[in-house]
Amino acid sequence: MKLIFKIIRIFAIVYAALFAVFYFDLDGKLLYYVYEPLMCKHYDNIEGRRNIIDIPYEMKNDIYD
Amino acid sequence: MIEFEDLLLEAYNDMVRQAKDEGKFALGYTCYFMPEVLLNLPGCFSVRLRAPRSASPDMATYYMSGRTCMYGRALMERALEGGFNFLDAELATETCTVTCRFQEHMQMMPELIDNPNFFCEFSDVPFKKNDNSILHYKDQLQVHVLDVLHDKLGIDTSDEAIRKAIEEQNEINRVVREIGEFRKLDEPTITGFEFALCQLVALACPHYLILPKLKETLEDLKTREPDKKPNYRVKVVLAGSENDDPYFVKLIEECGARVVADRYCYGSLPGRDEIEIREGETALDAVARHYLISSQCTRFMEQHVMRQRKEYLADLVKEYKADGIIIEQMKFCEYWSYERLIDTFVLRRDYDIPVCSIEKEYTNNAVGQLRTRFQAFIESIELKKLQNDQAERGVG
Amino acid sequence: MAEERMVRMSLAEKLGYRKGDLKNFVKYIADDPKQACKDFIYGKEHERRNLGDLYIQPTGLYRHREWRGLKDTFYYFNCIWCYNYGMMVADILSAENPLSFFKGIWRYRWLGQTYIPVLHWYDRGMEGARGPALRASAWHYRGLTHSTIEQFMRMFARDLRFTKGEPNELWKKTVLHNETVSGSIFYPFRDGGLIDIPLEMIPYFVTCHVNSNTVLHYIDAIQSLGLPSDPCPMCQAEAGVGIMDDYPDSAPCIITTNEACDASVATSIIQDWFLNRPLYAMPQPMQYDDPLVQERCQKEIEGAWKFVEEQTGVPFSWESFKKYAELQNEQLEFEHEKWDVAAHTNYYPINGVAQALYRIYYSQYGWNETWQLLDNRVRKIMENCVTNQIDTFPKTRHRVIAWSCAPLYYSNWCTWAYNCWGLNTIINMDSLMFDKFIRTDSYEHALEDLSWYNEMAPMRSMAVGGYEHIFKLWDYMEKFNCDMVMMYDQLQCKGMQGIKGMFEDEFRDRNIHAIWFPHALPDKRTVSRAEIRDCISNYMIDVMHEEPLDPSLLDFDDSMTW
Repeated sequence: MKLIFKIIRIFAIVYAALFAVFYFDLDGKLLYYVYEPLMCKHYDNIEGRRNIIDIPYEMKNDIYD
Repeated sequence: MIEFEDLLLEAYNDMVRQAKDEGKFALGYTCYFMPEVLLNLPGCFSVRLRAPRSASPDMATYYMSGRTCMYGRALMERALEGGFNFLDAELATETCTVTCRFQEHMQMMPELIDNPNFFCEFSDVPFKKNDNSILHYKDQLQVHVLDVLHDKLGIDTSDEAIRKAIEEQNEINRVVREIGEFRKLDEPTITGFEFALCQLVALACPHYLILPKLKETLEDLKTREPDKKPNYRVKVVLAGSENDDPYFVKLIEECGARVVADRYCYGSLPGRDEIEIREGETALDAVARHYLISSQCTRFMEQHVMRQRKEYLADLVKEYKADGIIIEQMKFCEYWSYERLIDTFVLRRDYDIPVCSIEKEYTNNAVGQLRTRFQAFIESIELKKLQNDQAERGVG
Repeated sequence: MAEERMVRMSLAEKLGYRKGDLKNFVKYIADDPKQACKDFIYGKEHERRNLGDLYIQPTGLYRHREWRGLKDTFYYFNCIWCYNYGMMVADILSAENPLSFFKGIWRYRWLGQTYIPVLHWYDRGMEGARGPALRASAWHYRGLTHSTIEQFMRMFARDLRFTKGEPNELWKKTVLHNETVSGSIFYPFRDGGLIDIPLEMIPYFVTCHVNSNTVLHYIDAIQSLGLPSDPCPMCQAEAGVGIMDDYPDSAPCIITTNEACDASVATSIIQDWFLNRPLYAMPQPMQYDDPLVQERCQKEIEGAWKFVEEQTGVPFSWESFKKYAELQNEQLEFEHEKWDVAAHTNYYPINGVAQALYRIYYSQYGWNETWQLLDNRVRKIMENCVTNQIDTFPKTRHRVIAWSCAPLYYSNWCTWAYNCWGLNTIINMDSLMFDKFIRTDSYEHALEDLSWYNEMAPMRSMAVGGYEHIFKLWDYMEKFNCDMVMMYDQLQCKGMQGIKGMFEDEFRDRNIHAIWFPHALPDKRTVSRAEIRDCISNYMIDVMHEEPLDPSLLDFDDSMTW
């Protein structure tokens, strides 16, 4: 019985915490102010991308020839 | 040449008037995909629409907004001004959006062309060059051009009549081509501007009236000597989107380049190739195949065709002994904005051809900027030539 | 301006705290406890909501999410917010290669910058929604999210970048195609294990809706190579993703199309360059209702099938085609039922943005089980509304039809327009595309109908291919019982710009209230959301002489939002 109450209590706390995150848009704020700027910085610095200018452009045959 | 210049000052020029007075039907069109040859069957003649001396197309901008290609808007403005009232029909194609919209206005607004019998008929043009597309195109030409001309204007559209029209078309093509051949000389005896006049009058005037004049010009050219001191420093190919303005070519030449080849809408390459009727083909088969296969339009979407277009330009440079290419794009032309981008990279990288890539308007209203661009381009070619010479001689 | 404002904001402001908030809240309860209690249980009535006060300007974040009353708030929290976060994880875990998600998010900007704020996209689309409208619209969004995840996980499972350049079996049985080629083309190969991937759909199209910042990077990339800024920005962005090498390498070949416009054709020139692999062009005729072109169009589709067989080794199967075409027909039948309810009653529970996006997504992907499952749920909600005569958008003042191509960065404008002005978007042009049943009694009939189906692709069905199609607006206005037109003025759409004056003339002659609002499809820098709102509000005030339902939504800065 105690265990059940404990589980219910934990569930209630988690649920309330999640509701707070939801209601105060904390997920949005975290993503907007922290996650996105960090990721953008990362994407700006990715190395090893192919440069289109280097991709060959040789003639190709008609696919049904 | 002065006569040609005069003829190009307005769409309803003296020759068009004369042909109309002789009872012939004037058939307008805007695009290479409307085969000129079919519009020159007995009893009618073709006029590829232009709007020379256009200023600001204010009325057309109300209908088509200021964010569309000015060629389409200038034609619309000219139509609204009454400049195309001489037309008996417009044979339209939905080949690029804005000219399509212009021609749709001709359908939607009966008051646009002041001619109660005027009509506008659309044909669908395929995006590929395979057998299926040729059949597609042929069906369209049969129903939306020949049948319409026959039913509405009583034109003879028999195979025999088309064969005759092909012969006449080939004759004018041959003459224009021959005139153009003088541009291949080491020292061309014709300027790009002069050639543009010849090509444009052939598009804008009734063939039977302009042909003798073109032949005369050809004869004159045969005896013309090159200038003792050439007034150009480099030779260039001009490629790109719609250009029916000979003064744009003149602008390039005034900067010190000689335009030796013209691969743009309204240009002669490859538009002046002769139409060949192969064994077993009807005349219409030949027309459909010719216009579809010969076109270098950027609408074509097959992979090998897209890539071959770059090769074609590179071949022109070789054939006409040019030093570089100017790629022009009419502002708001979506096809050529992309084609220009890729041409600029590929022609330089894979063919080592200097490229000058510019955006222009239908009217030559940014002359100062363009002049600077062309002059810089010409200087860069000269510099490159100098460097190559020095390298060959082991200098530096 | 907005960026400077952001820099100046304190942490408390960034989190949405305003001085006096607590005091005002206490005062609100103390002044009228009964009303406060009623508001808590049922939510505030429309005119007292002040939804505009919820925003942290200019970020578009919420100081707090909307309190919709006890029932709807907890529905939103449990069945939309928690459920969708959970299902997003579940969707990834059930994919072919769940770990590739992390590689994908690390490698691809369009995923990392877009995928995570998905729930905010839900928020924006469903602001102010209550009851069945909230539920049915949210189910549509769920379908869109699931299909998006399915698509990008498929891309990653095949991506040569994640397999050290070694093509796996999945890669070999995959075909890329332009997003404007319908998924239905590939039905004959589905049971044979072929997967078709609309190349630009996720990397470009979806990102614009969810996070409008992502695409700007790609537009800048292609323009930096020398492309002018005037071609359609959708095509610019699609090319830009390629320029940035941001398309997963997930298939051995591609099928391109000319749909929807000149710029789409032109874009395939660039696509061919960076993809550099076998390409089959499957263009549709422009003058597509000409009977002469039908057979030719069908041959091109057959050509595409032959190409798929040759490139992937998956054989054509009539049974497979028939099976999925019939399922698609069922789906379209339900769509017609929905339209019928929308046209003739006030009980239609799907808001303008959900309706439009759902139609676009499912037509591009083709039939899949997700759509069927969500349709079943939506059917129940809609039937309940009809049976119990529930007015789903009770503040409707005008029934609006939206015409031409919509602003992707502000697809939720119709949610705002309803909340602020009572403008209820009943239907829009994009929803009406692909409106064609496919007969399955014979191969010939099926091919004939499939070809027609594809000719009615997005934009193509109305905006190009003859002016008479775009003027079908008048018929649809009547059919859907609309009294107002929201005319999208996509600044770079040559097809629409080229016929603008005729529309003006027709609107005047027919005495129709039409609001033109400019936009630049994915690029919010050209015309901001605030400018779009101003256009609508100015018309409503100056021409219609109406008062806003929620004045707090008239003027706010959301220029830095997703």
